[in-house]
Amino acid sequence: MSVNFFWKAFELYPFLNALFIGLSLASIWFIAAIGLAIIYGTMGVVNMAHGEFIMVGAYTTYVLQSLLGINFFICLPLVFIIVGLFGWGVERTIIRSLYKRPLDTLLATWGISLVLVQAVRLIFGTSPLYVSVPNWLNFQIDFSFLHLSGLRLLIIIIAMGLFFATWFLINRTSWGMRIRAVMQDKEMASCFGINTDHVYGLTFAYGAGLAGAAGGLFGALKTLFPDMGSGYIVEAFLVVVVGGIGLLGTVFSATALGELNSVFSYFTNDTFARFVLFTLVVVFLRFRPQGILTDGLKRR
Amino acid sequence: MAYITLFAILALVPIVFDDSFLLNQLSRYSVFAMLAVSVSLVWGIGGILSLGQGIAFGLAAYGMGMTMQMQFQDPITNPIPSFMLTNELEHLPLLWEPFWSTPLGLMLAWLVPVTFFVGFGAMMFQARVAGVFVSIMTLAMLAAWYSMAYDMQPFTAGFNGISPPLPFSIFGVDIDPYSPLAYWICIGFLGTLTILTKLLIHSKFGLIVQATRDDAERARFLGYNVAYYQVVVFAISGFIAACAGICWVMVVQYVSPTSLELSMSVSAVVWAAVGGRLSLMGAILGAFLVNGIQSYMGDELQQVWMIILGFIFIGVVLFLPKGLISIFEYIFSIFDSKIIKQSKNQTENEAL
Repeated sequence: MSVNFFWKAFELYPFLNALFIGLSLASIWFIAAIGLAIIYGTMGVVNMAHGEFIMVGAYTTYVLQSLLGINFFICLPLVFIIVGLFGWGVERTIIRSLYKRPLDTLLATWGISLVLVQAVRLIFGTSPLYVSVPNWLNFQIDFSFLHLSGLRLLIIIIAMGLFFATWFLINRTSWGMRIRAVMQDKEMASCFGINTDHVYGLTFAYGAGLAGAAGGLFGALKTLFPDMGSGYIVEAFLVVVVGGIGLLGTVFSATALGELNSVFSYFTNDTFARFVLFTLVVVFLRFRPQGILTDGLKRR
Repeated sequence: MAYITLFAILALVPIVFDDSFLLNQLSRYSVFAMLAVSVSLVWGIGGILSLGQGIAFGLAAYGMGMTMQMQFQDPITNPIPSFMLTNELEHLPLLWEPFWSTPLGLMLAWLVPVTFFVGFGAMMFQARVAGVFVSIMTLAMLAAWYSMAYDMQPFTAGFNGISPPLPFSIFGVDIDPYSPLAYWICIGFLGTLTILTKLLIHSKFGLIVQATRDDAERARFLGYNVAYYQVVVFAISGFIAACAGICWVMVVQYVSPTSLELSMSVSAVVWAAVGGRLSLMGAILGAFLVNGIQSYMGDELQQVWMIILGFIFIGVVLFLPKGLISIFEYIFSIFDSKIIKQSKNQTENEAL
């Protein structure tokens, strides 16, 4: 079998389209990863249930939409609050006792993800469900070489908006200052009178809420089924770990990984692109385990 | 001692029970137990939470599947497996050529995963990657291999998997998956590997590995090449997982990307954690217990069972980090201390 089996000839317009799709992919991964990045950066907690938070957000959107008839755009902030509250509860009960044991938090959150998947399966059944978007979003941009759906464009815009919102929250509010203080040194921050437990709880809630809102968006993009979380968790982790602990790093790594994935799948196909991408990430991590951008924080 | 009792009991099962379905079930559980032992070794003893034991398991499973498939093919009349014909391959790919010979196929089924683990481990541990990062890297690698197996349909039959039509045959003996022979082979593997691993743990090598688990920096300062020990223990656990993969395909006569799925690898971690990661016996019991209950819960309870398992898992992680077997150890320690107290009283009286 020759290598030519895989590689497609390079054509400009489809390639540019692939780059654009990469941007859409990057925005999806960024939104999925940002909650995880904040949780991991502040608390050092590896939340294996993040994908399931996304899934819960999607199903909550479905419930809000179909049972209560709420507009899609109002659903999103509602889901943010609901899943955020749920995340806060999880943090208080389970995560709180595991701060000294990072590997055990990984396992405990995996247990939570198992429970969530099965609970959703019990409540909603295994057949796929759908979240619908308002009609005016159902357009397609057909712009010489660019083919992109309205929803994906919305996701890109929301990703940028989220980036700015989170940046503002972390760098320009007093709550954000507390988070940064706790991120740098928990003990010292608490010496200065910051209630670190409170900060941890709110941070986890924020991360979970972001995941929930992400779920609402992604649910509209694809169908809802109980296992959908697993499709996001590995990519989200890789984005977080490659990006390093920091907002800007997450943006860079999401863009880089999204574009690389799209480019690889342009030349070969989706699954092989995944294989190459993951191997590259593993090799990258070996040489730079702290990620692309770090603020000089100690490597966890 | 307890180990020998356990294996003696397990070995006697086919003599007592005549149910071939039960034997096959127990063979599967023993494969899972081997996986759990490999996790217990690399995590409980080595301190490396590898979420990618499935890589060795899956690679060996595919190797065995290919060997078994080629046993069925005849070089002259039927040289190419049918799934390849459906994928429009006209010649047997180079990758499959070595599997014409059963001994070579088996060798490869062991060699490839272990070599990969050695290389991958060396890459990680030389860079002093530790803790959570190792878990994520093994996770990513596992996902990568899964994509590979899923995608390369002409080679691996994609998500349909390879189902060799005949049971495995070695030295002229057909090993029927439902026979006591298959069962004894699996239990034999499990027993030998467990006892060898136990000896390894109690050897000097094992002590050093536990030292690197407890504090890698300190071990480095004491002069030990921590990366070397981590790579070796990682590779040995890969070897155990590979044996599990080989026995698995022998017992179920089927291999698919499912064996490279994340849920399989993490389930192995769950069994080891629930049973007791610091003890090989605990890992084995955990695997048998969880899978046994899962199989016999029936469909109705099966749904709820996963939630219960999730909660048990969370509970064990939170409250019983040493697993369920620590309850037994606690009970035994109460008896022990009572006996010690009694003998102490006696000696004191005599001295007076």
